[in-house]
Amino acid sequence: MEDFINEIIDTKQLPKYEEVQLTSLHPKYWYVTLINFVIVFVIIGIALGLFWFNTEEVANYGSYFAIAYGIVLLFSLFLTRIAYKKKAFAFRNHDVIYRKGIIATNTMVIPYNRVQHVALHEGFIARIFGLAKVEIFTAGGNASDLEIPGIAKEEAENIKQLLMGKIQKQL
Amino acid sequence: MEANFNSPQRQSSIGILILFIDSLQKFARAFLPLLFLFLFKATAQNRIYVFLAVIVLILIIGVIAYLRFLNFTFYIDDDHDEFIVNEGIINKTKTTIQLNKIQQVNIHQNLIQRLIGIYALSVDTAGTDKKEGNIKAISHLMALTLKAKLLENENKIVHTVSESNETKVNSELNQSPFLKINLSSLFKIGITSNYVRSIGLILTFFFTIIDNLRNIGKDDVIDEDKIGKIIDSYPVIYAVLFFILVMFTIVFLINIGRTVVKYFDYTITKQKGSLLLSYGLINTDITILKPEKVQIVTITRNYFQKKLNVLEIKIKQAISDEKKQRKSSIEIPGCNTSERDQILELIFNQLPEKGTMMLPNFRKLVFSIFLTIVLPLSGFFIFGNYVNAEVFKFTHLAIAIAIFLLLIHFFGFKNYRIFINDNHIIKQSGAWDIQNDIIEIKKIQAITTSQLFWHKNLNIGSLTLHTAGGSISFYLGKYDKIKEYVNLWLYEIETSDSNWM
Repeated sequence: MEDFINEIIDTKQLPKYEEVQLTSLHPKYWYVTLINFVIVFVIIGIALGLFWFNTEEVANYGSYFAIAYGIVLLFSLFLTRIAYKKKAFAFRNHDVIYRKGIIATNTMVIPYNRVQHVALHEGFIARIFGLAKVEIFTAGGNASDLEIPGIAKEEAENIKQLLMGKIQKQL
Repeated sequence: MEANFNSPQRQSSIGILILFIDSLQKFARAFLPLLFLFLFKATAQNRIYVFLAVIVLILIIGVIAYLRFLNFTFYIDDDHDEFIVNEGIINKTKTTIQLNKIQQVNIHQNLIQRLIGIYALSVDTAGTDKKEGNIKAISHLMALTLKAKLLENENKIVHTVSESNETKVNSELNQSPFLKINLSSLFKIGITSNYVRSIGLILTFFFTIIDNLRNIGKDDVIDEDKIGKIIDSYPVIYAVLFFILVMFTIVFLINIGRTVVKYFDYTITKQKGSLLLSYGLINTDITILKPEKVQIVTITRNYFQKKLNVLEIKIKQAISDEKKQRKSSIEIPGCNTSERDQILELIFNQLPEKGTMMLPNFRKLVFSIFLTIVLPLSGFFIFGNYVNAEVFKFTHLAIAIAIFLLLIHFFGFKNYRIFINDNHIIKQSGAWDIQNDIIEIKKIQAITTSQLFWHKNLNIGSLTLHTAGGSISFYLGKYDKIKEYVNLWLYEIETSDSNWM
């Protein structure tokens, strides 16, 4: 108790989370997103094609279908690209920062001493490119859990070890 | 009764009856339709067989209940600090709950249990697994002792068995209540809250009945002509007034009835820093509340309640399952301001004061008006103009709804603000029922800040604080201020190893 000091915190001097240089996702992750994107649109395209082929009422509107499909595809591609560009992360000494969002930029910060456990997830396509996803769970339920995709497998493993170490230290 | 929980314990022997009724209920729910079908289709001769079969079945259920009773044991494993429940006749289930994972122990009594004079006890855990220890029949004394055991072990106090459980439980029971909510407060709450929910309930009820009557095909049950004539013979305004009056009377009565039945004899007792809440007219609930597990405290009060000096408190604890979350929030209805302060002081160790205030940008009002009034209204008029002019019959209704929404948005915006002090954050919101959500900064799990791209140059942004009991959001505040606070909170969370639950 004797060495207890309680100085005023200068809020201006605190490290600023908003000024941290964030790391963007691995460039290969763009291919992963792209492949997923193509799979989804091929399936939708096949479904639409079958619908057009089997329904007489819409048989004459084939070109409209194709144009609408093309517009939706281009627009989605555009949004996917922005979403990919926006995603970025940073691991500081005491917390992890993750940024994402297309229309709104969401920045989430989780202090390490609130992390419950960490998991590594490798999707089927991501694995081909040697990428993994780091999942960080807190006690706050779905809303405050974090998934950082597109990190090189080795790096993700290191991050997991680092976080585990931080959690262990707290316990 | 010397309760020793270290060796496997059975439930109260009278609990066979509870298990019997429980099995019977489950069985009846599954087979009752089939049984009725048999009874109606069967001839007089066959009926005897059906009755015989039913009697045999009841006997079998009785035997099953007895076997269930025999095979149900529970005990506390002191070596591993675990609470263990064994159950099952053929398929054996062993539920093991680590004592330090126990969030809450509930004692509950329904009507049948009350008649027999026994209690049910259930254990809530915070983990992702939803297993719970449920004991269906246990005496009051046993329940309180077990509860004390379960919760005391959690603090990992190495306990020398010096005081006998008997005296401890007795002192627990004899402790004078710290707060008792009287009937008049419950009345006040019943009259002044939950209008919308009750009106919704009544309307659903009303329409289901009408719908069912129509379906049956007995149109003469509700003779529309007759009703029409009755209405015609009075001026319309009287009919409307009469309807509103009847509606409100029913709403009041239902609200008062529900509040009184649910919260009758609400007693809060203080024990070893925890709160013991017990309430209920038909079903009695006893809940223990540990202040350190509280995540969000919500205080709700509307204009009438302010005048009558009553308010409602809702307490959310750390529970991972969201479905359970809604059920597990604890409500304290009908306390006055000084009682509120006492409860808050107990939970937070100090009275959370409203610190620095932050107001939302006016764009929040504009945006919500645009989204819920301008867009639907323009949709309505476009539809009327280009598709079907029929809808213009309802123009006055649409405008009335728009004005109503406008009022709600305006008052909602006026009340919307966030207060920040050294230890607590209080968010105020609501148009009629004004709600104050209080969280402790050290209970924050994660922080999200968010900004729409067209707000970048306007310095507007939103803030969401995640706790283990849910999130609190504040939309469209001064973004630089928010960021400054976030940095401060992160600093505070990261430099202290305060326990968040």
